[in-house]
Order: sequence, then C-alpha cells, then structure tokens
Amino acid sequence: MEFAAEVLPDRRTVALELRVLSGLADEPPHQLGLAHLVEETIDKGTQRRDGRALSDAFDALGAQRASWTGRECIGFTCVCLPPQLQPVLELFAEMLRTPTFPDEACRVAVELAAQDLKSLEDDPQELADKLLTRQAYGPWLGRHALGEASTLANIGAADIRKHWSTYFEAGRMQVAMAGPVDAERVMDSLERLFEGFGGSSPAGRALYPVEFNPVHTHQHKELEQEQIGFCFPGVARTDPQFPVQQVLLAILSDGMSSRLFTEVREKLGLAYSVSAWHENPRGAGMIHLHASTTPERCDRTYATLLREVDRLGEDVTEAERLRAVNAIVARTETRGDITRAHGAELANDLFHFGRPVPLEEKLEAVRRVTIADLKRYLAEHPRDRLCVVTLGPKQLDPAGRQ
Amino acid sequence: MKNDFVIHTLENGLRVVIEVMPGVRSAACGFLARTGSRDEDPQMAGVSHFLEHMCFKGTHHRTCEQINIAFDEMGSLYNAFTSKERTFYYGWVRDADLERQTELLADMMRSALPQPEFDVEKKVILEEIAMSNDQISHLAYDFLHENVFAGHPAAWPVLGFADTIEKLTRDQMDAYLAERYAPDNLVLVVAGRVRPEQVIRLASRLTADWLPAGRSRSRIPPVLNAGQAVKKVERFHQQEIALVFAAPGAGHPMDETAEATASILGGGNSRIFWNIVQAGLSPRAGAWRVAYEDCGLTILSGLCDPANCEKLAEALRKEARELIAQGPEPHEVQRVKNKRRTSLAVEAEAPYYRLVQIMDDVDTYGQPRSVEQRLAEVDAVTGQSVVDYLEAFPITDPGFLVSVGPREWPAS
Repeated sequence: MEFAAEVLPDRRTVALELRVLSGLADEPPHQLGLAHLVEETIDKGTQRRDGRALSDAFDALGAQRASWTGRECIGFTCVCLPPQLQPVLELFAEMLRTPTFPDEACRVAVELAAQDLKSLEDDPQELADKLLTRQAYGPWLGRHALGEASTLANIGAADIRKHWSTYFEAGRMQVAMAGPVDAERVMDSLERLFEGFGGSSPAGRALYPVEFNPVHTHQHKELEQEQIGFCFPGVARTDPQFPVQQVLLAILSDGMSSRLFTEVREKLGLAYSVSAWHENPRGAGMIHLHASTTPERCDRTYATLLREVDRLGEDVTEAERLRAVNAIVARTETRGDITRAHGAELANDLFHFGRPVPLEEKLEAVRRVTIADLKRYLAEHPRDRLCVVTLGPKQLDPAGRQ
Repeated sequence: MKNDFVIHTLENGLRVVIEVMPGVRSAACGFLARTGSRDEDPQMAGVSHFLEHMCFKGTHHRTCEQINIAFDEMGSLYNAFTSKERTFYYGWVRDADLERQTELLADMMRSALPQPEFDVEKKVILEEIAMSNDQISHLAYDFLHENVFAGHPAAWPVLGFADTIEKLTRDQMDAYLAERYAPDNLVLVVAGRVRPEQVIRLASRLTADWLPAGRSRSRIPPVLNAGQAVKKVERFHQQEIALVFAAPGAGHPMDETAEATASILGGGNSRIFWNIVQAGLSPRAGAWRVAYEDCGLTILSGLCDPANCEKLAEALRKEARELIAQGPEPHEVQRVKNKRRTSLAVEAEAPYYRLVQIMDDVDTYGQPRSVEQRLAEVDAVTGQSVVDYLEAFPITDPGFLVSVGPREWPAS
C-alpha cells in the first residue's frame, strides 16, 4: 500500500482519498459493468453489519463519503472532522476487507445499472461522451462504468465477489490524505488495519494501451440539439510536455476569454455549452472538445471548433500565454483553501507519478512554458487524426469533415 | 476559529456585508441583485437570466472582451446564476486581487447592454433553452413549477420561453436593469482574507454615482395548486414522477427541521434510498425542500421505468405515511445532524462557500449567520421537532402529482 499525507495543521477537516488500482479495464469482456457493481455493492454489508448499519456507522461519524469507478481504479473519498479520522479509517478497512456482497443487493445493483443505462438515453451529453469514449479509446480504456445491457445480464453475485477477491488487496491500494493529521500515526494505523489484506507487493500498475480509432460516426436521435464531440491524442500526465498541453488547453477553453468561448459563443452565438479538456489514463492522454447546438448550426459549429484548434498553431500570442499561465497558477492557489482539493491533488500524484509531487514544482513547470514550447508541441502533435461522434437529428455535412 | 462580520449600508442604499476569515489565503466577492424570474412581467419571461448574461457583455468602460480578459488575468473562479428570486455575480480570487475583482463586478452592474452583443446572446439563450429541453430532469423541474404555481409569476422557467426571448428588446431590458439593479436592491458580499474598512471605502468610491430607486420589492405569495399534470414526451426512455406538497418558505423558524426531515426521508442513507432505490424500483429517488421567500415545496421524486409509475408513486407515498405514523428514529435525526456539522466545517474553510451562504442569509434573514449560530440551529433539531414539522406541513395529502416521460400516466 502506498500512503501520502499533506499535513495542514490549521484546517477544520480531513480529506481522505483511497484508491484500489483496478478499474473498468480489468473487467472480463463479457461482464462489462462489473467494476462499478463492486463499487456499488461493497458497502451493502460486511461480516460485522448489514449495509444500512454500515452507512449509519459512517453517518454517526459525520463522514461525507463518495465513490467512483474509473478506467484503472476504484476511488473512495471522504471528508470528516479530525477527531473522527481513526474510526473512519477503521470503517473503511472493515468495508474493503470484509464485504459480504449479499445476493439481493447484487441483484438490485445489476437492475439499477440497467436502469441507469436507460436513463443515459435521456442525458444526451453523457450519452455522446459514452459513444465517443468507446470509439476513441479502444477495447480496454473505452469502457463505460455502466457496461452494456448485454454484459450486465451476465453478472451475478458470485462474479462480483470473485472480482473483489481478485483485485482488492493491499498491494493495489493508494491512500492520500490532507488536513491536520499526524502522518506517522495514520501510517501505523493503516499498516495495522490492512495487514494481511491479500497480496502486499505492488500490483495494478501495468499500463493499458489506448487503441485510438480515428473514425466519424453519427447516431440518430430525436433531440432539439445536436451533440458534437471529438478527440485526438495528447500526452500523458507524466510527460514533460504535459504543462505545455495544460497551457494550450487553458488558451483554448479555460475561462470566458478563451478561444472557444470567444469564437463559438461570444462572436457567433452558436452554442451555450462549448468546452475542451484532457483526460489522462495512466501513461496516455487525450484531448476532447464538445459543443451542443441546434441542428441547422451544427456544421458551422463543428467547422469553428476545428478552426480554433488549428489556429492555435498559427497565431497564439504572448498575452494569451501569460494569461493562461497566470490563470492556472492563481486558480490552483485559490482552490488551495479547500482541504479536499489538496487530498485530490495528492491522490492524482500517487496515481500518475507513484509519489507526491510538490505543488510548486508543478506550477513552476507551467510558468516556464514559452511560446516556442507551445508551437513545438503543436508541430509534434498535429490533430491530423480525429475521432468524432455526433448524436442528434442531423448528420454532419461530409464535405465539412476532416 | 472565530469569524467576524461587518455590515454597512452606504448612503445610496447599497448594503455591504463582509466576513473576515482568518487562516485563508483567498477572498471572494459578489453582487446580489434581489430580483429573479418571479419579478418579471409575463411578456418578458426570462429577462432576469438574459440580463445576467448581458452583464458580461460590456459596460460604459469595458468591452465584453475586456471583461472576460480581466477575469482570466486574475485567474478568478467566477460566474453568475439566476433563480426565481435572485441573481448573483461572483468571483473568487487570491486576496491580492480582491480590489480589482470588486471593481470589475461593480462595473458590470452598470451594463451598457450593447445591441450587437444583445442580438448574438439571444441565440445563446435559445440554445440554452433547447439544451434544457433535451434533459428530462430540467424539463420535469420546469414543468412542475409551471403547474404547481400556474397563474403566478413563480410558474415560468428562469430561462423564459423561446417566444418571449425572441421578442425581448434591448430597451425593455434596459428599463428592467435600471429599476432592479439600483443600489438599494443590491448587496455586495465579501468573504475571506479581507480588510473591511478597505472594502467599504472601495464600495463607496465605486458606487458614488449610483442612484437608489427608492422602491421596495413587492411580491405576491403564490398559491400552491392541487391536482396533477402529465407531459408525454415520447423521445424519453424513463419517466420522472414527483409528488409536491406545501413547505415553509425560507427563513421559517423550522428551517433546519425542514431540511433534516427531507434528509431523513430522501437524502443519502435515507428511507427512500433503502426502501425504493435499493429495492430496485428507481435508480434515482429522493426528497428535498425548495424554499422561496414566501412559500416552499417539499418534493418527493424519482426516475423509473415507465411501466413502474404506479409502483414508484405509491412507494413514495408509503414512505411519507410511515414517517408521519412512526416519527423518526433517534439515530436518523442524529446522523443528519452529524453530517451537517461536517458540511458546516467544510463551508467554513473556503471563502466561496461562505460567500454563497452569506448571500442566502442576507436575502432571507436580512443578516448573515455565523457557522457557530447555524451549528446551534442544527443542534436544536429533535425527533419531536420533526414530528411537529410534519404535522404543520403534512406530506400525506394528495399533493400535486407531476409526471414527465414517454407514458401518459396517470390518464387524464
């Protein structure tokens, strides 16, 4: 188990993030959705208490919990008051080490996942994102947490238990913490609580490949708006070029003075929702763009998105670079007043780098990015291969595709 | 850790409310305009929200581009939102940028409403309405208000309607701006690492030529309708069901008890979660209270397979009946209170969180409440207060039933 803590003595809360290094990519292909079902059912009963009693125990401590399933890990987050940290850790250990996965809770979780898949049909942006991810990232990293209706049908309580017993072990765990904590004491406590929990040698660190598939697809759906999403490969979180990519994305889409907001929304009024962001599986990166607009304007919107990506390589200015750098630094420092933000940052460091990376080191790398760096990045990473998904009543004009 | 409030009213009527937060590095500020969609004329439905967009589009001193660049140069975490009763503009920055942030927001409160930007932004608003119509939860929430408050300004959506937005003119908006953004209908809220005397001096300077309107806000309390409303939308796959009951308005003495009751019934680890969601009947179901100035709603709602509408509606009613019949268990009350304590501690860490809460307090109670005061209010909630609350605001009458989705249920 890897553990890192940022001691912040004056804070009122402790933020905890615990990750088990096994996610969607580890699911058997005929049982997609399994990792999320483990996450959903792991708190529905332990050897000591039923699901309700476990939730009551967390609530009695005032613990604010959440969980999520990612491509390569399952994450559990918690915020609590400092005196409650030790009993909260004990409850997490109980939940992760001794879940019972009751048959009925597993059956219900499968049923709810199937219903959630259906309700995804009523959330067009989420649905478009699911379609794009599946198409762009390939068979392992392109999976959706809810799986597919056909694969959910193959999952029972025994499969959920087996998946947990295969992947939940100390050697796959990373624990990050921020707040007024005694790090040595917490480390001793974690050692004790997770001693003998499966294999203790590091596991789950292997990289799954992105199998990028640059194709265009359209799915017809009766909607008022057309969803437009596309992506192309970027760099990994650990790549020395990552800060350069951060600055480029800030120029493109961070804030109302960014290029996408200015050109698509402010000047042309083509969309309310327009954005770009990057996603980073370990060892890989992808740049995404999205906009939604009424069908008669979708070709122009798509063309404008493409033009803005291309234009970055042509006329990026020093003023834009400086503004983007300042914004990244300032927003990181401002959010620093939230203890939870420190916990999340540390958890991401462990996940991507295998160690804490001082915040100032990361910000300094951003400050050092020059116009020449931006141009070099764009020359080395041309957006010559796009994976595109449109969802809605109208297909993009083939003449406008690139 | 003690926090301090400074409250000051300028000669022009602008109230300035400041909370000094020791131990933080940042500061947040915002202008509350005490106006929203329920204050609009019917033919101008959506003007409050459209105006919120327009305040970013140019002033007599700055172009739209200059406003946007100024926010991003500071690395501000900024935005604005409009509700039925309020419009709030805010920025959260490093403490050294507070003066610049406040100056920018103050300038935006005197928007020039440039016509070319007005014409372009109208298209953006129409796209926002289209986007909202594609999402079942947004559509259902608006449909609920349209019917529960039918005949009252609280009925129409904050975004307005496509036809009212299309017809709206810049001059109509300008008149609305002049009347509703007068300093005596605005509040400047500041929280974080700040020096109150500097903020007050700054506010006085920035608003020296702002003239009060001298009129108080007058709102007619809405009457909650009974009955049912069904919107059949074939393109959706799931059905959204909601049962709506009367609840106390914001600032009611039973505020904390009302929130606790909704949480016991339909929050995380609640009765609805275990007996409805974990029974596999609905992937998302819960209960919450919506509090307006002079009225409130308790909403029990869920999403379900269209074939299960009857079962979901009955299951929600059953949970309401049983809570009233049995009263809450002591541990249910306690767990809600414990979680609330953690929430308040989280809120006390960040100037932005405090800013929004102070804004809410000032509009509701006329003054801010400290975290300690709110903790005391949380501590005062008991099992008996929940019982008393449910007697005063029952959730077992038929209420108003709303149904949106591919099935026409219940049949008219």
